Amino acid sequence: MNPSLRKLFRKGAPGSGDIEAFIRETSFPLVDGSDVTFVYRGNADAVYLRCWISGLDTAQPFQALAGTDLWATTIDLPKGSRIEYKFEVVANGNRELVLDPFNDVVAHDPFGANSVCQGFGYERPPWTETDPEARTGSIQTLHIDSKVFKDSRDVQIYLPARFRSTQRYPLLIVHDGPDYLHYAALSTVLDNLIQALEIPKMIVAMIQSPDRLKEYGGDDRHAAFIAEELLPFMTERFSLIDEPAARGLMGASFGGVASLHAAWQYPELFGRLLLQSGSFAFSDIGRHKRGPVFDSVARFMNAFREAPGLPANKIYMSCGIYESLIYENRSLVPRLQAQGIDVRFEEARDAHNWENWRDRLRNGLPWLFPGPLWMVYE
Amino acid sequence: MDGRRDDHSKIAAGSRFYARFDYRDPISYRGWKPLLRAVRLPRSDFISRLDAVPVRSRAVVSCFDAHVCRHFSHMTEPRPVHLLLGPQRPTINLVDTVAALRISNGPIAVISAGMQEAEGDIGHVQEAVGLPLSDLHLYHRAQKAFQEDTRLREAYRQRQEHLKDQQRLYRLRLKQLAIAARTLLAASGEADMLAAEQRHAIAQLRALDRHHLQRTETLHDHFEQEFGAEIQAALGRHVDEIREVVDSCQAILITGGNVAILLDRLRLFGMTRLLRQKPVVAWSAGAMALAERVVLFHDRTPQGRRDPEVLGAGCGLLPGFVFLPDARHRLLVKNRNRIELFCRRFSPELCVALDSGSALQFEGARITAAEAVRHLKRDGRLSKLRVS
Repeated sequence: MNPSLRKLFRKGAPGSGDIEAFIRETSFPLVDGSDVTFVYRGNADAVYLRCWISGLDTAQPFQALAGTDLWATTIDLPKGSRIEYKFEVVANGNRELVLDPFNDVVAHDPFGANSVCQGFGYERPPWTETDPEARTGSIQTLHIDSKVFKDSRDVQIYLPARFRSTQRYPLLIVHDGPDYLHYAALSTVLDNLIQALEIPKMIVAMIQSPDRLKEYGGDDRHAAFIAEELLPFMTERFSLIDEPAARGLMGASFGGVASLHAAWQYPELFGRLLLQSGSFAFSDIGRHKRGPVFDSVARFMNAFREAPGLPANKIYMSCGIYESLIYENRSLVPRLQAQGIDVRFEEARDAHNWENWRDRLRNGLPWLFPGPLWMVYE
Repeated sequence: MDGRRDDHSKIAAGSRFYARFDYRDPISYRGWKPLLRAVRLPRSDFISRLDAVPVRSRAVVSCFDAHVCRHFSHMTEPRPVHLLLGPQRPTINLVDTVAALRISNGPIAVISAGMQEAEGDIGHVQEAVGLPLSDLHLYHRAQKAFQEDTRLREAYRQRQEHLKDQQRLYRLRLKQLAIAARTLLAASGEADMLAAEQRHAIAQLRALDRHHLQRTETLHDHFEQEFGAEIQAALGRHVDEIREVVDSCQAILITGGNVAILLDRLRLFGMTRLLRQKPVVAWSAGAMALAERVVLFHDRTPQGRRDPEVLGAGCGLLPGFVFLPDARHRLLVKNRNRIELFCRRFSPELCVALDSGSALQFEGARITAAEAVRHLKRDGRLSKLRVS
């Protein structure tokens, strides 16, 4: 039993007042080295921990603590881990997923919010938080008419602080850009890394697809949209450095697949790729087992593994080790390296979520786009 | 023979006059013999100082400088004070040091080109110094000139691309040589055999550094020869204006910032001659630019540690030194392997760490005062720089 709970129960079942004081004075979940104890209070038939971690049971049952309405369960979480979770409460025949009511740390994503467990040794990187001393860039929205998709789309453009139209900048195109902005603090991260001179001032074009599972899954139309429509659109409007090393594609999950696919379809156009938890499903023989939505992805990845070519000179990849995609990502690295591509691969004790992707940006962006830190002595 | 000379030729610096020579070449050595006799420095010590053998090397540097300055001062022009400082954050020592120069009523010219777009944003300096300041606007003057002359702008852009490429190619070769040298410095084995291999590995690094320096100078020379008339036409008026402002000032301040940009602008506007005529207070990138060659360094970038790189020639006002601003934060100072290699690679130049709060005062090339300044030693440590 967690030491704090043991102390609470040292004289037997605690009264309601003691429990309330305990909850008031304690941070949840209870982290004791690698043991992490989750606590729920309430009347229920059963309580489960749901944390969608590859390798752990999908639902981890809580134990009722005798003589109280407290429930607890303990998992072993290696040092430096960060996981997102919810409680599943079963009461009166109903099942409900709820946030941990005692934990204020919450992560958001397009599907809602999850509670966050910051394991022993994990700290939110300071460069992901707003630095009042960092100059802030601006974001403007432009519309691009796409002949490929036969529609009009919004592109959000990040311009660095002190942007000058006469200067030339690198360009980074980000899949699911608005999600990166909302859930991975992309704008803040860019401001901070630029301020710290770790990346150069750059222009970032953030795109969003109305049908990402289709368009991002190895769709030739999407690659054409990026290379033949969006890039000329950006080049026309902004002064960009005209070389592959100054052009990058970035994306997470299916966005990673879309980035790799576009760079593969248009070799030597994009010199830099940042691929996070890419959904790189493939099959060596027979069919993949990830469901029909991955069919087009697997078709592309199988073709890619057969003839990778040189999609980019430098590729940064990251993946959480608590997500099943770690297998596909690990498999891809040697294949890319065999092509002579400079690959940096990072594994994180985290899962398939935006804050995992946020926390890796400082390792990826400055490696792909080194800033003037080397030259600046203030 | 050429290769051998490359390996052993040295720049005897630390005095106001210096020469490239080969101490193992009797003809070259003969020219220095009277000088050495005059300063009562035995040949062996002289060689020690030039080869940066640790034994008494620092003492020899001081001794050499002091004697040279005493005996040969009649051969050189008197030069105003040059004061070098570390970063002005978190400790600001600009106020005290400027006061020591006894500049009572200004004005002072400022070169803040290293701050690029923020050039001239020197309110904090003004506040600290309390004297009228006049920024020379080297960065913006050049920007404006390039905007007006498209041919020159294109030529300049190409020159910059060539310099970048040269640096990239140099880096490719440097990486392997530095790994080899570091590995050898950490290796164990029969002492003499190991020492010979270490010396040779470092000599290769030094030869590469010299080669790179030569190549960058050639690129600059070509540009200046080919576009001399355009540069004169585009910048001549600015050069005259700058000279007038500097003439009316009591001293020149050079701020920190991007050292490549700063060097570029100092060179474009021919600032070296003006910097020789006035007392100069310079910090961080400003200090680096006054050395004979500028060495980039940072062991703590997000990409990991990098090997120091020669960027190019500095103004050469303070030969015999490599200045390393904010070394405490930028260098892995406890990594003796890296510090030893740094020290030996750039020897006989003295690698001087200028951390925030430090100050180093030169009269000519002689150090007359040093506060909180350390230098890199061959044993892989940093130690306080003492002024004899």
